Amino acid sequence: MARLRFSCSFRLRFSYCVIAALALFACSEQTAREAELLLVTTTSVRDSGLLAAILPIFQQQTGIRAQVIAVGSGAALRMGRDGNADVLLTHAPEGEEALVASGAAASRVPVMENYFVIAGPPEDPAGIRTARSAADAMRRIADAGAPFISRGDDSGTHRREVALLAEAGLDPEGGWPGYARSGAGMGQTLEIAGERRAYVLSDVGTFLAFQKRIELESLAPPNPSLRNVYSVLRIDPDRLDPARAERAAKFEAFMLDAETQRKIAEFGRERFGRPLFQPLHLAQHPRS
Amino acid sequence: MIYPSIGLLVEITLRTLAVCLPALAISLAIGLPIGIAIGHRRFAGRVPLVSLINTGMGAPPVVVGLVVYLLLARSGPLGNLSWLYSIEAMIVAQVVIALPLVIGITLAAVGALDEDWELQVRTLGVPRRWRLWLLLREIRLGLLAAVITALGGILSEVGAVMAVGGNLEGETRVLTTAILMYTQMGELESALGLAAILVGLMLVLAGLLTVVQQSGRS
Repeated sequence: MARLRFSCSFRLRFSYCVIAALALFACSEQTAREAELLLVTTTSVRDSGLLAAILPIFQQQTGIRAQVIAVGSGAALRMGRDGNADVLLTHAPEGEEALVASGAAASRVPVMENYFVIAGPPEDPAGIRTARSAADAMRRIADAGAPFISRGDDSGTHRREVALLAEAGLDPEGGWPGYARSGAGMGQTLEIAGERRAYVLSDVGTFLAFQKRIELESLAPPNPSLRNVYSVLRIDPDRLDPARAERAAKFEAFMLDAETQRKIAEFGRERFGRPLFQPLHLAQHPRS
Repeated sequence: MIYPSIGLLVEITLRTLAVCLPALAISLAIGLPIGIAIGHRRFAGRVPLVSLINTGMGAPPVVVGLVVYLLLARSGPLGNLSWLYSIEAMIVAQVVIALPLVIGITLAAVGALDEDWELQVRTLGVPRRWRLWLLLREIRLGLLAAVITALGGILSEVGAVMAVGGNLEGETRVLTTAILMYTQMGELESALGLAAILVGLMLVLAGLLTVVQQSGRS
């Protein structure tokens, strides 16, 4: 009987120990969270690997750990509007300016750019290689009724596609026979386009990462309307905890810092043989 | 905000059923005989086989999705079928998820039968062809549990169907992938509406099956 009671109380004590350990762990998590910054960005930035390359330096310099949430730009802007983010890194200029105008964002600072590509099968059935502009390329795809996979998810890339279709005088909802909406991220949308031998609009970073496997090529010639600018948006400090607002300001300063800008200029050279982003605040452009 | 229209909701719901019900039917057609066979026979290698099935019952759907994706990809062994990003691919993935559930629960139900049951049936001189029918009657509660579990597993599944279906509008978009998409787009109202339909669907189907299950009780 005594033995039994001992084993029971031991079990009980053991459970208390486990609960206490968990509680301690939760508390330490709590204190760690105090030096955190909620950075909401787009999947294209996360998937490129840029953040993994620069955020450790940010943490080293400031002691701030950035928690990265990657969603489509539309959702990112909405999270900013609803106060569910401290700082945004997005690529949807019109939506961003609207957010600043509404007062939800305190500032919008363009930090880097790259470009969109219109990729497709090398046979190029719609003949967009000779297109005069990005809009012309979209018109040729639509006229040929060629397969085209749209993100269809209100992301920055999808917004650009809608803008290009409007510029070409086409229905922004697509609607030609080969037009389909994936409702998926950029990577999977490229996979689907590869599988269907379809045209697709993509940011250059994700495209380069997937190019080999999907066997699509970047076909449309470079064009100003394919320019893709990424900006840092600081959320209105009045909507944030003062400490968080301060950290957001530090992140903005970090992104504009010459050292970080140089890092951005170098990023991607190793893996893709060329940089994925052009920094916008580097006085002297490095060798290209 | 782009709210999904009623027509779109109906379409997505019908497509969900068009994927899940055939997947369920195929899983039952293959899984029940296997479950019964393994359940009341003793043979060498039975224990490893059963533990393999039990592992399959907990197979992570994302892993199933990845494997089916690699099988069906253009460069994969079944690439010639051109099934990737189609309803067929989603059915294949769901069968892989549901099959171990059906087999596992069926063989557990058969295994739970009274040891003397088979002896009694034989002693009573029941003809061979009726024995199977009697067996099915005897384990009907377990069978319905298998059906409900399998249906719940595939109806609520999102990782695998997203990987092999791709959530293409008008082609492979089902309730779970649409909910995920609207959530990621920040369209929480639409996501919630679709979630209500999904839960309602499961409630109706599970309710119907439970009524059948309980009515068979003496």
